[in-house]
Amino acid sequence: MMKAYLSAFRMRWKMELQYRGAVVGGFVCQVFFGLILVSLYRALYAGKPQSLPIESVTTYVWLQQAFFRMILSSDPDLANRIRTGDIAYDLCRPLQLYGYYYARILAQKLLGSLLRAAPMLVFAACLPRGWGLVLPASLPALAVALLGLVLGLLCVCTLENITVGITMRTLDPRGVQAMLNLLMTTLSGNILPLTLFPDSWQKAITLLPYAQLLDAPIRLYSGQYALAQAPRALLVQAVWTVILLGLGLLLWQKNQKRLIVQGG
Amino acid sequence: MPYIAVDQLSKTFTVRKKREKGRLTREKTAVHALQGVSFSVEQGELVGYIGPNGAGKSTTVKILSGILTPDGGSALVGGRVPWQNRKEHVRRIGVVFGQRSQLWWDVPVIDSFSLLKDIYRVPTEAYQKRLAELTEALDLAPFLRTPLRLLSLGQRMRAELAGSLLHSPELLFLDEPTIGLDAVSKLALRDFLKYENEKNGTTILLTTHDMEDIAALCRRVMVLGHGKKLYDGDLPELLSRYDTQRVITLRYDGGAALPPLPDGCQVSREGADYKIAYSPQALPTARLLTLLQSAGSIRELTAQPENIDHLIAAMYREMGL
Repeated sequence: MMKAYLSAFRMRWKMELQYRGAVVGGFVCQVFFGLILVSLYRALYAGKPQSLPIESVTTYVWLQQAFFRMILSSDPDLANRIRTGDIAYDLCRPLQLYGYYYARILAQKLLGSLLRAAPMLVFAACLPRGWGLVLPASLPALAVALLGLVLGLLCVCTLENITVGITMRTLDPRGVQAMLNLLMTTLSGNILPLTLFPDSWQKAITLLPYAQLLDAPIRLYSGQYALAQAPRALLVQAVWTVILLGLGLLLWQKNQKRLIVQGG
Repeated sequence: MPYIAVDQLSKTFTVRKKREKGRLTREKTAVHALQGVSFSVEQGELVGYIGPNGAGKSTTVKILSGILTPDGGSALVGGRVPWQNRKEHVRRIGVVFGQRSQLWWDVPVIDSFSLLKDIYRVPTEAYQKRLAELTEALDLAPFLRTPLRLLSLGQRMRAELAGSLLHSPELLFLDEPTIGLDAVSKLALRDFLKYENEKNGTTILLTTHDMEDIAALCRRVMVLGHGKKLYDGDLPELLSRYDTQRVITLRYDGGAALPPLPDGCQVSREGADYKIAYSPQALPTARLLTLLQSAGSIRELTAQPENIDHLIAAMYREMGL
C-alpha cells in the first residue's frame, strides 16, 4: 500500500538530483544572505548589546539559511500540473492524491535542503566565533533538535499541501504563495530571529505553526529550550502537524468534488 | 449486461465571464456539457467517439474515468460507478490524454514506468512481461533509458501510450492520441491499437478529430454535438448518408468526346481530361461507367473518394453544430 507513495518519493528525489546546478546557486545565494544578516546583527550589537549573546544570533541565522530550502519552496511542478490540467492523470490513479503529492513535496524539501545544508553548515562552522555557527548545547540537545527538525519538515509539507489545495481553486499559485511566503519568512524567524522579538510577542509567535518549522528545532539545538522543555516543544510541533494535516485533507476532499480540469 | 452502460448522463459547468464595464458582478453562464447522453458498449469493442470541439467528448471521458461527478444520470463500467468506486475503478482502466503528459519530464522513461508499476501494484513478473510486449509493439527500446524531455513527439506519445497500458487495463480511453503526430507514427499507433484491441480484448473508446483514425480503426462510431448524442452506429452507413457527390476524371484514347450524360452530372474539361461530378444515389457508378465506355476506349480514369473530413463537416453542418 505504501509502496506507491515511497516510489513517488524516490522519483521526486531522483528529479531533484538532476538539478545540481541549482544547489550551487542556492548555496552561494544563502551564504550571501547569511553574511549580510550576520553583519547587520553585529552592527546592531556594537551599538546596543542585547540580552541574547551574539553567538546565539549568528547560529540562528546560519541554521535558518542552511534549511531555507525547506521552508521557502513551492514545487513549481505541482502548480504547473494544476494549471495545465496534467493533474487529470493524477486524478485517475488508484491513490490518495493528498498522500501522493505529500510524498513528492517531502522528497523535494528533504533532498533540496540536505544538499544545501551540508556545505552550508561546514562553511558556517569554519567562520570565527561571533560570526559563525557554534556547536549544539549538548549531545542530547542535538538529538532532540534533529527530532524537532524531522517534525518541522513533516509540518511544513502539510502547510505546502494546503497551498497546493488552494491553488486547485485559484489555479494560479502566485498570489497565495506570495502572501504565505511573507508570513512564512517573517513568522518562522528567517528574516529576524524569533529570539530577538520582545518576550511577550515570542510567547504568542512560538505557538503559531510557522514557529514549528525551524525555530523550535534551532532553540532545541542551542539550548534555549532546555532539555526539560523539549517534550513540550515537540508536542506543539506534532499537534500542529496533525491539525494542518486534517485541514489539508478536508480541503482536498472538498476540492475533488468541485474540481474542473483545465484545458478541455 | 453491457460492459459500459451510460444512461441520461448530464453535466453542467458554470463559466464566469469577464466583468463588463460599469457592472460590479461578473456574469455567470451555464455551459451544458452533457445533456442526457445514453449509450452502451460491449466488452472488446473499439468505438469512435467524435464531435466538434466543445461537444462534450472529454467530459464524458472524465466522468467515465472517475475524475468528474455528473449532475444527473447514471453510468456503470464493468458493474462499477466510476465516481463512487473511484479507486477500484481506476485500477482497471487506462487513460491517454493526447495533450497532457503522465510521464516525468526530467527522468528516464523507464523510471516513470516503474513508478506506474508501483502505483498500480503490478506484480514484477507480469510487469516484465507486459513491458517486453509493449516495448516490442511500440518500438520503445531505443529510448527507454532517455529522459522524456529529449524525446520527439512521436516517441513521447508512444511512451505515454505504453504508460497507460502497463497495468493491462480492461478499458482504455484515448483522448486525441494522434494529435500532432507524423504519418509514420500515426500509422504505427493505429496498428498498435488494433493489435491491443484484438489480441488482448481491451475495450477502447477513441476520441479524436482525425477521421482517418476513426475510419482505420472503428466500425462503430458515436457522434456528439452540443452535449447530445446525434448518431450511434455503423461508420460506413453514416458516411454514405453524406457521401452525396463523387468526382471521376478520365481521358479517352484519341481524344474522343463525352457521350451525352443524364441531368445532374456536372462536367468540366481541362485539356484532354474530363471531370465529371455526379451523385451515386441518382446515377449508380456502374451505369455511368457503361455510358462512358460506349463513347470510346478509356486511357486513364481516376475516381476520387470524397474526403472524409468534408463528409464530417457536411454532417456537422446538417446537424446544426
